[in-house]
Amino acid sequence: MEKIRHLYWRAGFGLSPDEWRERRNWPIEKAIEELFDQASRAKNSLLNAAPPARDEGGLAQMLEKERAVMFQQNHAWVSRMSASNESALLEQMCLFWHGHFACRILIGKLGVQYMNALRQHGLGNFRDLLLAVSQTPAMIRYLNNQQNRKGRPNENFARELLELFTMGRGNYQEKDIKEAARAFTGWNSTFLGDFEFREMWHDEGSKTFLGKTGPFKGEDIIDIILQQPATASFLVRKIYRYFVKEQIDEVLAAQLSQGFRQSNYDIGKLMRQIFSSVWFYAPNNLGKRIKSPVQFMAGLMRSAKMGFLQPGPVLFMQRSLGQILFNPPNVAGWPGGKTWIDNSTLTLRLNLPAFLLNSEEVGLRTKGEFEDEGREMGAQKLANTHDLTPLYQLIKSSKPVEMVQELADYLLLVKPAFGLENLCKDLPGADRNAQIRSLAMRLMTLPEYQMC
Amino acid sequence: MQRIMSIFVTKNGRKGVILGQEKIFKHTLNSITMKRRKFLQQSALASTAWLVPAFLQGAEFGPLTTRRNGKILVVIQCSGGNDGLNTIVPYQDDLYYKNRPSLSIAKNEVLKINDNLGFNPALQAMQGLYDQGLLSIINNVGYPNPDRSHFRSTDIWHTASDASEYWKTGWLGRYLDSQCAGCQNPYHAIEVDDTLSLALKGEKRRGFAMSDPERLKKQTNNGFLQQLSQAPVQPQEENVAYLYKTLIDTQSSAKYLAEQAKTYRSSVTYPASDLGRDLKLISQLIMADTDTKVYYASITGFDTHANQKGRQDRLLKMYAEAVQAFVKDLQQNKLMDEVLILTFSEFGRRVKQNGSGGTDHGTANNAWLIGGKLQKPGFFNSGPNLQNLDEGDLRYEIDFRDLYADLLQKWLEASVKDTLGRDFKGLGMI
Repeated sequence: MEKIRHLYWRAGFGLSPDEWRERRNWPIEKAIEELFDQASRAKNSLLNAAPPARDEGGLAQMLEKERAVMFQQNHAWVSRMSASNESALLEQMCLFWHGHFACRILIGKLGVQYMNALRQHGLGNFRDLLLAVSQTPAMIRYLNNQQNRKGRPNENFARELLELFTMGRGNYQEKDIKEAARAFTGWNSTFLGDFEFREMWHDEGSKTFLGKTGPFKGEDIIDIILQQPATASFLVRKIYRYFVKEQIDEVLAAQLSQGFRQSNYDIGKLMRQIFSSVWFYAPNNLGKRIKSPVQFMAGLMRSAKMGFLQPGPVLFMQRSLGQILFNPPNVAGWPGGKTWIDNSTLTLRLNLPAFLLNSEEVGLRTKGEFEDEGREMGAQKLANTHDLTPLYQLIKSSKPVEMVQELADYLLLVKPAFGLENLCKDLPGADRNAQIRSLAMRLMTLPEYQMC
Repeated sequence: MQRIMSIFVTKNGRKGVILGQEKIFKHTLNSITMKRRKFLQQSALASTAWLVPAFLQGAEFGPLTTRRNGKILVVIQCSGGNDGLNTIVPYQDDLYYKNRPSLSIAKNEVLKINDNLGFNPALQAMQGLYDQGLLSIINNVGYPNPDRSHFRSTDIWHTASDASEYWKTGWLGRYLDSQCAGCQNPYHAIEVDDTLSLALKGEKRRGFAMSDPERLKKQTNNGFLQQLSQAPVQPQEENVAYLYKTLIDTQSSAKYLAEQAKTYRSSVTYPASDLGRDLKLISQLIMADTDTKVYYASITGFDTHANQKGRQDRLLKMYAEAVQAFVKDLQQNKLMDEVLILTFSEFGRRVKQNGSGGTDHGTANNAWLIGGKLQKPGFFNSGPNLQNLDEGDLRYEIDFRDLYADLLQKWLEASVKDTLGRDFKGLGMI
């Protein structure tokens, strides 16, 4: 039972009450199959967004409109993460890769292209993924490759490619960055937001990169990077830290890296290997990670069958909890772990389940946007729809002490420090559903609910 | 030093004090005193006796003196990129007027400071500070390879990294890491907001975010969360233990800060703006001897791509009036030598105005220090050179990290190298 819970929380965003009832006794192999099956059936491309229209209004108005489109994409993504009929595994992979290929996106069409790259290759081959993301206009613009031209290179993309996307520091020299930058000259995006290779701007001269010399193009640089053992190791360590544990087991990481490289960077195979291994379910890996704000939100939504009619509340929560999709702090992504937690984010996390389920007003003042005169005062109701009926149906017993245990089995991945019997005090009257609701909210207020 | 607090005597001779909005009779005060002492002991604060507010120490209604814990830094961030050229105006420079045909401030409107530079008229409240020698203006502050994105440039100012590096901790967070490893209190640095800026996030320690101590108290000290703080947590569950510790720290801090904020009532009237409210709270906490070395506040809206004039004037006026009240408050309490205020913005704006009556993102900008112990009040250096531009933007002359170095070394008594990653000489401002 705890294995199933662990798997679905790491590979996805937990289980809905119905899923939990159906699957909690499944053999783990069956659950892994189901996760990968659903991923292979998932739509791997989202609908295209139209390029921004500049006919009416000025640039400012266009950007304002596109900002609203990005908010919708954000809202839609969080909704997919929490929906039973979407592939949780694929969405979790995309969330991981979004943190890895961190990119701030302001234009709807660029957002869809970027997401499609993650969806199509997130469980596929890493070379395909890297190439696809590197050629998204979103990334090209974010890392200034538009300014990277023959004779006056801009090194931003090349630097992050090596440092953050593939090899990590210490495995190359400054000179390699300069040479790689030359190879990516001419990778550009059109005014309408499509990838374009501008031959005129490409530096065709000979480059020496990581010991090899030739008239390299961007694709050649990517191939040379993938020949380096450091690349597989860097990626595996990052995956391990995200999906398994922050403290890396070096022996396991070395084995996984070797396999990953031998498989020609087959991401799906690596993930399946991790989820199928015995060590993945070792007790000291269970419930040890702090959920990211988006994981926390998606899990809560899945448990309470919750949805938001507007992007506003979703954005508000992401902003105040410190993880805004399509808007990472910088190209290094979200540092994660304990850095999610400070006094204000923890206070909000503990109060949020009750705020949402009771439609209470949240009193919070967050920093406004750079262009907003004045700040957002968040005394707003986080308008949502939710349905706890599946949760009520999940619970079989009728005594509070037993109900709370059933709920804790479902909602928590670690045994709470605060004795469960203490949660049963002062429950509302004899209405069973009201009691379940009350107990569930108390469990979701425990710091242990933040763990996965 | 006389504490500003009213003492009253009723007709029938009962004595008491006025705290915040409340009248408290002497006998009640005594019982509060007991409770507070107990609370302070529980919070492991008892050993630091100076923390106990002065009015609880010694003679009941004798002279109310206080001792403070050294220097305090207040940082005010102007988010969005304030247009420095229309803040400190180079009113003798023809290039300024040429580049800004409709956005420049006319010579006769500028509040002249010296033969070349003057204040935007919206900053009238600052002129008094300047005349008293309480203001230093540092021109052309920036960093190499400037980034014109708000996010990235704010990131660089917060982390104090080079433009080519991405750091995960902020400069004040690292100050806490290096200077405050053994600190008992999580509120050694307070951001007056409900979210915590990267500037205040360290590897091990973080600042404390709070815009309204009463509300935070309410959110963290309800019955259930109160009980939770008693839970026996297994210390080997590292992350869970960290969550509980953060909860308990937040609860005790919220209670303590809510009390602290009520201890002192200023006789100065603060403007009703956000910043006015924030600085008033900071003043209340300072006067109550809160163990906080750094306060962080921000105002936003300086991203003036269109119709800049009215908006920037409103924001500058709001800033200046709030700061003026704060300084007056500090002066009345003879604390001007103990508090230093840094004001900065993530970048300045393009020299040439754009087609919408605004300005686009630029680079170098002026930064301000306000305090009673300035080595170089007035202008630290001369104004921007509008002839020698970098693609239409000002060239930086002073690295902002040299300014930080001064604050760290001379004011907060911290190691520059530990905090900024390498040595910066500093400017000798303090």
